[in-house]
Amino acid sequence: MTRRRSVQLALMLAPAVALIGLLFLYPLFGILKLSLFNPAFTLESFDKLRSSPVAALVMQRTFLLALTVAVLCFVLGYPIAYFLATMRPRWRAFFLYLILLPFWISVLIRTYTWMVLLGREGLVNGALHGLGITDGPVQMLFTGFAVHLAMVQILMPIMILTCFAAMVEIDPQLVKAARTLGASPWKAFATVFFPMSLGGAAAGAIICFILGLGFYVTPALLGGRRNIMLANLIDFEVHQTLNWSFASVLALVLLAATLVLLGLFRLVAPERRLHG
Amino acid sequence: MTRVLLGIYFAIGVAFLVLPLALVVPISLTDSQFLQFPPQRLSLRWYREFFVDESWVRATLLSLQVGLGATAVALVAGTLAAVAIVRGSFPGRRLLHALLVAPLILPSVIVALGLFILFLRWKWVDSVPALIFAHAVGAIPYVVLIVSASLRSFDTTLERAARVLGAGPLRAFLNVTVPYLGPSLFAASLLAFFASFDELIVTLFVSGGLQTLPVRIWTDLTLRLDPTVAAAASMLIVVSVAGMSIAEYFRQRNVRRYGH
Repeated sequence: MTRRRSVQLALMLAPAVALIGLLFLYPLFGILKLSLFNPAFTLESFDKLRSSPVAALVMQRTFLLALTVAVLCFVLGYPIAYFLATMRPRWRAFFLYLILLPFWISVLIRTYTWMVLLGREGLVNGALHGLGITDGPVQMLFTGFAVHLAMVQILMPIMILTCFAAMVEIDPQLVKAARTLGASPWKAFATVFFPMSLGGAAAGAIICFILGLGFYVTPALLGGRRNIMLANLIDFEVHQTLNWSFASVLALVLLAATLVLLGLFRLVAPERRLHG
Repeated sequence: MTRVLLGIYFAIGVAFLVLPLALVVPISLTDSQFLQFPPQRLSLRWYREFFVDESWVRATLLSLQVGLGATAVALVAGTLAAVAIVRGSFPGRRLLHALLVAPLILPSVIVALGLFILFLRWKWVDSVPALIFAHAVGAIPYVVLIVSASLRSFDTTLERAARVLGAGPLRAFLNVTVPYLGPSLFAASLLAFFASFDELIVTLFVSGGLQTLPVRIWTDLTLRLDPTVAAAASMLIVVSVAGMSIAEYFRQRNVRRYGH
């Protein structure tokens, strides 16, 4: 590489590197510093974390919620992705577009739609009452159920897309070959198609898990005070108790969990998708 | 038989994903104080309410301003970086690419907290330019992802042909590669714009007294449920769907023109 070319490359990279360095990496170091240095290196905030029953409860709840949502997205989303991958290409483009539409609408608005639907006078309660299933309005808003339902709906498009991308790469001839060799349709699916699609499906579930860990808006609006998650607790520590170092430790826990899961993602994700 | 059952499940699944959004629009057309479905009497009352209320209008204008600013910053910085990463060969390209798309996957509350601490120290809270740059961080991954994917599938023979025909490297890039990238750049700008326009968490932490549209909706939702939010939400849904449909149209046109 010539010298002139190097200068050119450096100039092209400069704005993005400055932006990400100054407003992404540097703030992350700030969090690291605030949670681990006071002013010398100390683990005292982690002792506080261990001795805080609230933090333990919220961390456990967040982890469990994200895991449940990821598993639900996997189980419910896989058949949708499968149907999509095996349908006629004309229809496929249309449905793919439809499934991805909600993805481009903000989580705030999508959570709001559930507030409207699940409220006491909402559509769901109206329908349940109209069909004679319930006598009066059922409390759905501000429950864990509402949070699960909305998060599955919000994250499932990502699951479907990741899964679908892995499925269309599978050569349909392989399934046909299994059938020719005498396998039942079910067996051909279970022994050929499913194992080949598992990498993409697992990658999708891990992305849902990671994104689920950081959810803030949906638990706050649909879960009420009794269902706050890690992100809400961080917000609370910053704005209500003004305990920034504790908020930083919580953020560090969230960051560490995200990084571990990203490592897991790299292990299972089909190789090409990472660089493509 | 299995296929039919799967098809029914598929239809229910797609309805579950899309229908809640579609239902908000008719609900927003109600005349009453409360949200109901189906609305008893159709009216644009809450849309009028939105445009009459100065705080809603101001929030919308601020969101537009910040969104356009963040899009411009992210588009310039992201495109230049994507070209350098795809075309150049230097150590750490992969790492850099990963760093530039990292804001997409990292929980925004972490970035929000980090920026909050930083902005307090720099006295950047309550500043529109600072908010624009903070939003650009969240928008840049979309630009980098789309532009670098598009550049990778670009047939560089076309650019070499221009060079052979006597164009300089910059001229070849501007006359051949940029027109090819056009629709991708457009799609990237749309995504970057919506990333900023919809951003809530970072804004809640660093904006101080500034109210963007999502913050305005948020404060309304945490205090009371007024159908004005339904009107605002419906307009956002319609605008997002329209924007994405346009981007999809241009993407497909490019696929037809260049064959991939």
